[in-house]
Amino acid sequence: MGKDTKLILDPLADNNPITIQVLGICSALAITAELEASIVMSISVLFVLGVGNVVISLMRNIIPSKIRIIVQLIVVATLVIIVDLVLKAFAYELSKTLSVFVGLIITNCIIMGRFEAFALGNGPWRSFLDGIGNSLGYAVILIIVGFFRELLGSGTLLGIKILGDPVAKTGLYAFGYENNGFMLLSPMALIVVGIIIWVQRSRNKALIED
Amino acid sequence: MEHIELFFKSIFIDNMVFATFLGMCSYLAVSKKVTTAVGLGAAVIFVLAITVPLNWLLDQFILQPGALSWLGAEYADYDLSFLSFIMFIATIATMVQLVEIIVEKFSPSLYNSLGIFLPLIAVNCAILGGSLFMQSREIATLGLATTYGIGSGIGWFLAILAIAAIREKIRYSNVPAPLRGLGITFIITGLMAIGFMSFGGMLTGGDEEGEALEDKSAQIETVQDKSTTNEIANNTKVID
Amino acid sequence: MEKRTDKNSYTVIFAIGMVLVVGALLAYLASALKPMITENQRLEKQQNILYAMGINNNTPGSATFISTDEAPEKFEKYITDQVVLEVKDGKIVSQLSREEYKAKNSGQEPYLIDVKKQQANAKAGKNRKLPLFVGEKEGKKFYIAPIRGKGLWDAIWGYIAMDENMVVQGAYFDHKGETPGLGANIKQRYFMDDFYGEHLLTEAGVFKGITISKSNADPTNQDKKDYEIDAIAGATITGDGVTAMIKKDLKLYVPYFKNLKNKQ
Repeated sequence: MGKDTKLILDPLADNNPITIQVLGICSALAITAELEASIVMSISVLFVLGVGNVVISLMRNIIPSKIRIIVQLIVVATLVIIVDLVLKAFAYELSKTLSVFVGLIITNCIIMGRFEAFALGNGPWRSFLDGIGNSLGYAVILIIVGFFRELLGSGTLLGIKILGDPVAKTGLYAFGYENNGFMLLSPMALIVVGIIIWVQRSRNKALIED
Repeated sequence: MEHIELFFKSIFIDNMVFATFLGMCSYLAVSKKVTTAVGLGAAVIFVLAITVPLNWLLDQFILQPGALSWLGAEYADYDLSFLSFIMFIATIATMVQLVEIIVEKFSPSLYNSLGIFLPLIAVNCAILGGSLFMQSREIATLGLATTYGIGSGIGWFLAILAIAAIREKIRYSNVPAPLRGLGITFIITGLMAIGFMSFGGMLTGGDEEGEALEDKSAQIETVQDKSTTNEIANNTKVID
Repeated sequence: MEKRTDKNSYTVIFAIGMVLVVGALLAYLASALKPMITENQRLEKQQNILYAMGINNNTPGSATFISTDEAPEKFEKYITDQVVLEVKDGKIVSQLSREEYKAKNSGQEPYLIDVKKQQANAKAGKNRKLPLFVGEKEGKKFYIAPIRGKGLWDAIWGYIAMDENMVVQGAYFDHKGETPGLGANIKQRYFMDDFYGEHLLTEAGVFKGITISKSNADPTNQDKKDYEIDAIAGATITGDGVTAMIKKDLKLYVPYFKNLKNKQ
């Protein structure tokens, strides 16, 4: 396997940002009640992390080490605010959908984490690949969690009724099936991620702790 | 009274970790041992107690629409709220760095126990979250902002202390191997969050404010409709 | 060996340079894009107000505004009047027509009144300006009022269209940053449509408002006089915010509607 492909493929499973590196948990819990929101968030992070990693990597030789954290935070915040302002002016509809995610992206520690761990010590092209790889790994977990929470919590996927109509009692609901409203609450996201970790580590014993 | 209410509300009902899920990354990563958890928790209280009031001042006198009017009437129309994120982040990062330098200079022993956690705090989203909540909830005075900062910090401290204590004990339990470490921590946190949801039923400051306003307008309205306020209060709240 | 980038002087120069560059960039962008952003926000307000009175491009299950190109023209056509009430301590102290308001405020249209600023004014003990938009569609009159409050994370707001008896004829809600999939669903069609036909006043004419309730026995909302709407699962605090803003803000309009009745 080439070095570059490894940068993309590793974070998808064995070095996943959420389940192994413990980065970006807050947003993974907050917005996964619906599959659509998970997908939008994943795409936004893909963009910000890809571009941010390149910018930080280009600046890596001129950033003073004492204030590097401030510099990183400012770079990501500036990027996000610029994108937000430009969207507000030229694509207002799109910006309304995305504006909810602005705060979540700036405070997302996956972005800071990758700046610090990778972009500060590597060239722009490799940093770009690392950014893409890690956001894809992040996306995988978000989409799995979003899928289960929306399916079991509201019986829909992307807003389409999969299991029948709960009010008219069609489909599965005709047999007495009920939506588990609990799945929509944030604590269940923690438990779903816990189960994903369980499944992942029983398949790959090398990841087991202690 | 207002202070006490906000204080307990920010510790239990709006607990940073269990209700809003902020600061999860360091919560999960630094909770293997009680001693380190206490160190980080104390640092979080400290930094929140400083940055929330500081950002409150920034927000009131620089960022809010019309906040610049103290400079003169011609500045009254400026709206710098698009800078809030950057300003808050800059304050937090600067304060963290400043605290690090001061502590290192005056109390090397405290620095040794706290030092490694300080850089971690700048990237802890609970800190930025504290300032953003303070802004969006329109907290009224500097004193209340301080109370809110300290309360939120203590809430976070409690959470990390609890999970660290559980993790120390759980090492002696027979957890399935793949769940050990991170996996079981996630699940326990989920269960704790469900437990904390029961605090949501407590009366909160928000209802109090509603009642006061309701009363004011009711005097003019002649017919007072008390039942509406009681209805709000009786509706059990569950965390969003 | 100490690196060039570790020196204090370098750090300070870098920090100052960074602040200048970032500050200038953001300030330039913000002021350059401001006219376009304000224009977009203006059109959005028109769309929101029209949406509340049922002028929209809804297809089953989706909430869609009329396009921005049509908005100004339809706004002119359907919104026949705008009224501004000045309120102090919950009491109406004066009432301005659209023309009077425009003359006093260098031509600003009443629908552009910033509700947030007015709420802050009220808190500071100053007069609060309450705009009310009168619309007419197919011979029916709509009175549309803006409301604003707090959700779980940030601001929530909306427009409620009522008839002269304060029976809801349409509602639009929006939010700044509620949790996607939970609180954010207040702008979903199924939630907003539930408000249609709900009464705000009791039979005796006392303002009761509408409560977003978890425990009402009416999930399909057949009973329009129970003053309750079924809550969104998992979004209790956002729901409470909606309840509170309806009760606080719409209550201020009650005297106006009473006057309206008396005049007839």
